[in-house]
Amino acid sequence: MSDFIEQCRSEWRRLGVPDPLAEEMASDLASDLSDAAADGVSAEELLGSSAFDPRSFAASWAAERGIIPAAPGRRNARRRPLVLVAFTALAALALIVAALLLLTGRPTVAVAVSRATGARLPTAPPAFFVPPGPSRQVLHTSAAAPVAWLLLFLAIVALGFAAWLWSSWGRSRPPSVPA
Amino acid sequence: MRDKGVGATMRDMVVGSQRRTELLRGVLDLCLLAVMNEEPAYGYEMTKRLRERGLAIVGEGSIYPLLGRLERDGLVETYRAASDGGPMRKYYRPSSTGRLALALGVSEWRAARDAVDAVLAPVKVEVIHE
Repeated sequence: MSDFIEQCRSEWRRLGVPDPLAEEMASDLASDLSDAAADGVSAEELLGSSAFDPRSFAASWAAERGIIPAAPGRRNARRRPLVLVAFTALAALALIVAALLLLTGRPTVAVAVSRATGARLPTAPPAFFVPPGPSRQVLHTSAAAPVAWLLLFLAIVALGFAAWLWSSWGRSRPPSVPA
Repeated sequence: MRDKGVGATMRDMVVGSQRRTELLRGVLDLCLLAVMNEEPAYGYEMTKRLRERGLAIVGEGSIYPLLGRLERDGLVETYRAASDGGPMRKYYRPSSTGRLALALGVSEWRAARDAVDAVLAPVKVEVIHE
């Protein structure tokens, strides 16, 4: 059992548990294991399945006492939905704003395609110009349109990303068990 | 064919020890608060008191992390004192918040137990061994 306690000490040291607290836990555990052995009680009866995994036992004990931060998975599991909800709501808001900008504004975008035939392009000054080639495109637009289109694009990408995050979160969630 | 069906069903069901583990997991904190409420106790002493009442915690994991959580949540107070002729031990007793939590928990447990009893009590099952 001294090996078990030594492994616990080692884990507490690795996790940054202050020495006095680690010593207190190790001392209590050693006394209890000693008493149990004197009563003919095995370490497994006292520690349950933890008797076979000293490092997890040590980490769990320190975390439950609040000496070290809880395992990231557990905290994130509670925090992640809130972050995801906020992110999804923001993306949806951006989508709505972009759609409103595009729907309520004047027609602001026109695309003209000219093959390499020398056809004249519309007279309005182009906002974007693609270098000449076999075909070329000129996008005529107002100053506001690129922002709206960019916002729409970003919102769609963000919503797709949010959907992926939700599905990945749903898959990674541990089954709920009684505390 | 019928026997095979029953066997498969039984295999699919949670076996007794696992069910006991799941049931105990939800109330082990109450049991610890209850035994230390009778008299302050250190870790192994609590395990002994539980075992004396037929509540072996094998398979439930250790009580130590649970005691740590009760301490962190302010449900227990601790102090160090020498055990009977032994080394200094960390004794636990419920704080005032812990006693309130115990009272509420016992009430919830009784309500849940009565509701489950109401469903399960009328069941009469006869198991025939062949």
